[in-house]
Amino acid sequence: MVSAQKGQVRVITGNSAAAHAVRLCRPDVVASYPITPMSELVEQLSQFHADGLLDAEMVEVEGENSAMNAVVGASIAGGRAFTATSAAGLAFMFDAFLVAAGYRAPVVMANANREMTSIFSVSCGQQDIWTVRESGWIQIAVEGCQEIHDAIIMAFRLGEDYDIQLPVMVCYDGFYLSYSAEAVEIPPIEEVDKFLAPLKQQPERPRIIPGQALGCASHGILEGFMELRYKHSKAMTRVPKKLDEIDDAFGKQFGRCYGGQIEEYRTEDADIVLVTSGSVTGTARTVVDAKREEGIKVGLVKMRMFRPFPRERLAQVLKGRKAIGVIDRAVCFGWDCGPMYLELRALTPDIGNIPMLDYIDGLANLDITIPHIERVVNETSAAAQGKPYQEVTWIPLEED
Amino acid sequence: MVEGTKKRNRVFDYFQSEDQFAGGVAWCAGCSMELLARLVPKIMGKDIVIVGCPCCSAPVLFGQNLGAWHKMASLGCVMTGVPSSATGMVRYYRKTGQDVTVVCFTGDGGAADVGFQPLSGAAERNENVIYICYDNEGYMNTGVQRSSATPLGASTTTTPVGKVGRGKPTHSKYMPLVMLMHEPAYVATATLSHLEDLAKKLKKAMEKVKEGFVYIHVFAPCPVGWRIESNRVIEVCRNAVRTNYFPLWESEGNRPKLTVEVASPKPVSEMTKLIRKFSHMKEDELAALQKAVDERYALIKRLSDGNK
Repeated sequence: MVSAQKGQVRVITGNSAAAHAVRLCRPDVVASYPITPMSELVEQLSQFHADGLLDAEMVEVEGENSAMNAVVGASIAGGRAFTATSAAGLAFMFDAFLVAAGYRAPVVMANANREMTSIFSVSCGQQDIWTVRESGWIQIAVEGCQEIHDAIIMAFRLGEDYDIQLPVMVCYDGFYLSYSAEAVEIPPIEEVDKFLAPLKQQPERPRIIPGQALGCASHGILEGFMELRYKHSKAMTRVPKKLDEIDDAFGKQFGRCYGGQIEEYRTEDADIVLVTSGSVTGTARTVVDAKREEGIKVGLVKMRMFRPFPRERLAQVLKGRKAIGVIDRAVCFGWDCGPMYLELRALTPDIGNIPMLDYIDGLANLDITIPHIERVVNETSAAAQGKPYQEVTWIPLEED
Repeated sequence: MVEGTKKRNRVFDYFQSEDQFAGGVAWCAGCSMELLARLVPKIMGKDIVIVGCPCCSAPVLFGQNLGAWHKMASLGCVMTGVPSSATGMVRYYRKTGQDVTVVCFTGDGGAADVGFQPLSGAAERNENVIYICYDNEGYMNTGVQRSSATPLGASTTTTPVGKVGRGKPTHSKYMPLVMLMHEPAYVATATLSHLEDLAKKLKKAMEKVKEGFVYIHVFAPCPVGWRIESNRVIEVCRNAVRTNYFPLWESEGNRPKLTVEVASPKPVSEMTKLIRKFSHMKEDELAALQKAVDERYALIKRLSDGNK
């Protein structure tokens, strides 16, 4: 079934897994500014370069804003470019981050998810990635170190696809994943070449060609601007299917796949479904297994894609359930709920008014523990049986 | 002067390309930056890639409600993105073995203020990028607000003259020396009255960029924002040099040298009298500006004399 030659298995951190994936994708230009908890990724790429293992132009920029502008420049010139950041760095590059999307520059960025300043907190959270969700980027969130590695390789194939041409952000929980070491299989570079080869069969994407009167500019042309937005938005609608196909192709070659837009776990006959994203998913699986032992028919959906929102796949899996429990690691101020919950609520026309319970937990490195998730299952289960429930609960602060 | 008797300006000898811009463009009458923008590809060649950002040049370089008004390849960036985007481009060209010259073209706000950090970063990394700053001493495109390049006493819409206000209370940040201390491959100042001097420097920039970063700071008066008669803008450039308000020099390998030395400099009022942004200034205020000009010039002269 699996066609790829076996890779080398190493116990490495999430940052290191990301660095290996970037190396294997042979970027032309890498520009990144160190920030906790991602710095190790930049360091490792620099070491690869110093050791002659990464034949890329390394730009040691003086800030994240320049990092993003440099990779946009490289991409618009025709190259493959990579950067990485986190939280405050993401905020500092925000205007350039928007330009990357508006210029349809298919750069790939790793983001070590971190609480957003301020309150100052050098700790895990997903506030940073949710804050920028209307920027026109594809956002993929992952659960473990192997998935970080594999998602980055898939991100290049997705973003650079001629039908897509959009920047892709691979989001992994800072601290929990960036610094945790797990066994990661690193494939031979020839296998990654093979996986990315279909891009070479496609028409060349537009780029700036010296001597030719073609500009790429930020100064809007009135009705043209709206047309570009329209095309961008339509390109986003092509992403879900494309990601599923790429995930499938990756699985066929490497023997690992992740469900594409969402990953389902024991949902087939589930009455209630938990929705999670990122590193907490592993803990949630454990709880699902234990609760199944107790006879509670609970399943799990891991959100892998925040943007575009996996509306159809989610509707398919959530429709007909008796209740849904959502675990959010970020806050929507003004709604007093989490962003994932708010967006799942928008599925009501598709799935009906199923009881949906939101749990905000794990901000700023607070562990989302097994007892916390057990509580989510218990309360969601009670709601499924028609009992009254609280819509939004801040787990560590509101006792059950 | 009768046609044919006037000596042809030597700048024509440096042209290697025809004008890349449309005949009539959306720049103001008398704009000195327009002259510079047209000269850049004429002297540096039509195959340069122009990178810029929102500023006076942008509506023509990148189009505003219309397409661009020229035939060159160009990239428009955000205010903070010019030297860094140019970096990404030249690095890609280097990686793929393409011989392409990337020229950044911004105003003083993009160079000295909001865009300073990436400029400083690119210069320190010694990227193979040419950065041309046309210095019109403020944010002219957004309506004549002060920048850090606005001189002492000048009236702008954010340093207005009123009952209490007397124009800008501090003198300009002198970018050419700031950039010199990044020790790039080449730094030069130029203006639109001394065209051969400018042409030589643009030509040298094309060679020096192979070694690393090049910064060219061009004094470019704005008839609208400074309130100058549109037919006297070049005269202001000339007087800026003759009063030592804007000395012309260049530096290779950390050796700044004046390229034009003024034998008997005129008082700065010879220039300011043509510019109404200074018209409120009293004798003591002009004396303070004169002092600032003299002190800056003395520093440059000392540096230059040391390299004779």
